[in-house]
Amino acid sequence: MSAPRLRPAALYAVLLPALLLMLLLALQVGPVDIDLGQAWQDWNAGRTTVPMLILFELRLPRALLALTIGATLGLAGAALQGLLRNPLAEPGIIGVSNGAALGAVIVFYYGLAGLGWYLLPLGGLLGAMVSVAVIFLLVGRSRSVVTLILAGIAINAVGGALIALALNFAESPYAMQEIVFWLLGSVANRSVNDLYIALPFMVAGWLLMLYCGRYLNALTLGEETAVSMGFDVARMRLLLVIGVTASVGAAVSVSGNIGFVGLVVPHLMRPFVAFEPRRLLPASMVAGAILLLVADSAVQLLSATREMKLGVITSLVGAPFFLYLILKSRNTLQ
Amino acid sequence: MRLFTFFLAALAVFFAADATAASPRRIVSIGLCTDQLLLSIAEREQIASLSSWAVNTDMSYLADEVGDIPLNDASVEAVVDLRPDLVLASSFAAWDTARLLRQLGYEVRQIPPVGSIADIYDLLRRVGDWTGNAARAAGLIDEMQQRLAEIEHRYAGRPEKTVIVYAPNGFTVGAGTLENDVFAYAGYRNLAAEMGIEGFQPISLETLLAANPDVLQIDRDLSRSDSLATAYVDHPVLERFSEQRERLDIPLPLRICGGPMIVDAVEAMASRR
Repeated sequence: MSAPRLRPAALYAVLLPALLLMLLLALQVGPVDIDLGQAWQDWNAGRTTVPMLILFELRLPRALLALTIGATLGLAGAALQGLLRNPLAEPGIIGVSNGAALGAVIVFYYGLAGLGWYLLPLGGLLGAMVSVAVIFLLVGRSRSVVTLILAGIAINAVGGALIALALNFAESPYAMQEIVFWLLGSVANRSVNDLYIALPFMVAGWLLMLYCGRYLNALTLGEETAVSMGFDVARMRLLLVIGVTASVGAAVSVSGNIGFVGLVVPHLMRPFVAFEPRRLLPASMVAGAILLLVADSAVQLLSATREMKLGVITSLVGAPFFLYLILKSRNTLQ
Repeated sequence: MRLFTFFLAALAVFFAADATAASPRRIVSIGLCTDQLLLSIAEREQIASLSSWAVNTDMSYLADEVGDIPLNDASVEAVVDLRPDLVLASSFAAWDTARLLRQLGYEVRQIPPVGSIADIYDLLRRVGDWTGNAARAAGLIDEMQQRLAEIEHRYAGRPEKTVIVYAPNGFTVGAGTLENDVFAYAGYRNLAAEMGIEGFQPISLETLLAANPDVLQIDRDLSRSDSLATAYVDHPVLERFSEQRERLDIPLPLRICGGPMIVDAVEAMASRR
């Protein structure tokens, strides 16, 4: 693939302003027209006004959630693709997101979330961890795309069924209708509390994954080479798994399963970082944040009263891309 | 002599029963609203059974008056077992039970949903006619009208306030609903109705805030458990928004059904204006 070889500074000189621009756009979008300048002034003056409440209690938390969850999914996708050395690895496709959603559903609907703020993301983390464990069991060291996808289908099917089961027995009369949220994901009507709950786990996960960048570089040459370069493979793998499950688990526990972001973003970014896994990690993180901010603004612009789920947009964009990758890898990776 | 009095008593009972032969004597209700209408209008002896909603204090205004009246689960089997001569149901709940009972040859009467206080008068009249208690129904209507006039008079000097209802999943009540009429009687302007909302429809939190009502009525009563639906009414922005506003917490039993208790809802709201 012939791609522009950008120096890191040049890449981020494009990505970071784009991120800021999309964040401002997201703050502008909503069912009500508000004057952002006025809202900002009211906030500075300590006045509780309607524009100020809409900006700081509704739109900013929502935009920051889209940003951090997008960053999480982009980064986790890049980390999983590096770790499994498989171009189709993605939290949603291999079932990690559904596992996280199951863990979160159990905590959320069975009254456990009230016992401690950390229990909801922890539930997501544990669910994600179980999925990853099953992936390793089923796929092992095989790099076969087919095996990975089949394992993902199986885990997703079981995860989806168990989510439905858990919602069925939940006490809340609304639980069953809410399966759509968990399977397609959304950041609508979330509050700053959700950001506070998820952010510590997401940030911890980001740091772990970024820390493992050099190991992922070494891993491209094979596990033996990585060992010969002085890496403790088991430890690095564990750190990566904890990083992925902590951040994805926390993200999914407040937003549901938003698919395909972790698949599309690393593939888009790879040419710009000279196919280097370590450099791919932060680039995917920023690009994932941009992508989800755009998708969430689109959701609000395209559907007024009955808002569609965020996962609808990301899947509509991501699924054809997924098919394209399968067609492509049929020739090169079998 | 004793035998004679017994005979007279038996005769009296026989004739009394004969005189009211036209009115049903084993009435079964299979819905919350018909439970309460029966308790208000019918003789206790006429009520064979009420639905189990009747004793649910979260919803039933007359839960204390049920006493030893047997309860049913609104299933066809339970109702058939009670050998009713009249079954009362809502047209908007347990309609499948009602349809099957009608096919089985039972006398089933369904009450329509009420969209105003005038509809309640109509409803009371109908249930009065069906159960042979027309006079009592008329009395209840008179009493309601008198009390409403009194309330209007008593609070006439107070300024009008604006209100919006917010319920799980962002639902609000608009025009053509009983609650909307209750607001009008109590001297409130329902901003959701003024936005053009008819019946029950969802609005976004932003729309709610931008409407900027004086008073918020937040409904959470029915669902104490966590869900995304209740995240709408539990959103911290509403807490901050209502810091400088009033929260109208009119208990659900007062306003969930059409009946005489709606006047209590009007009074509670008007007194808070």
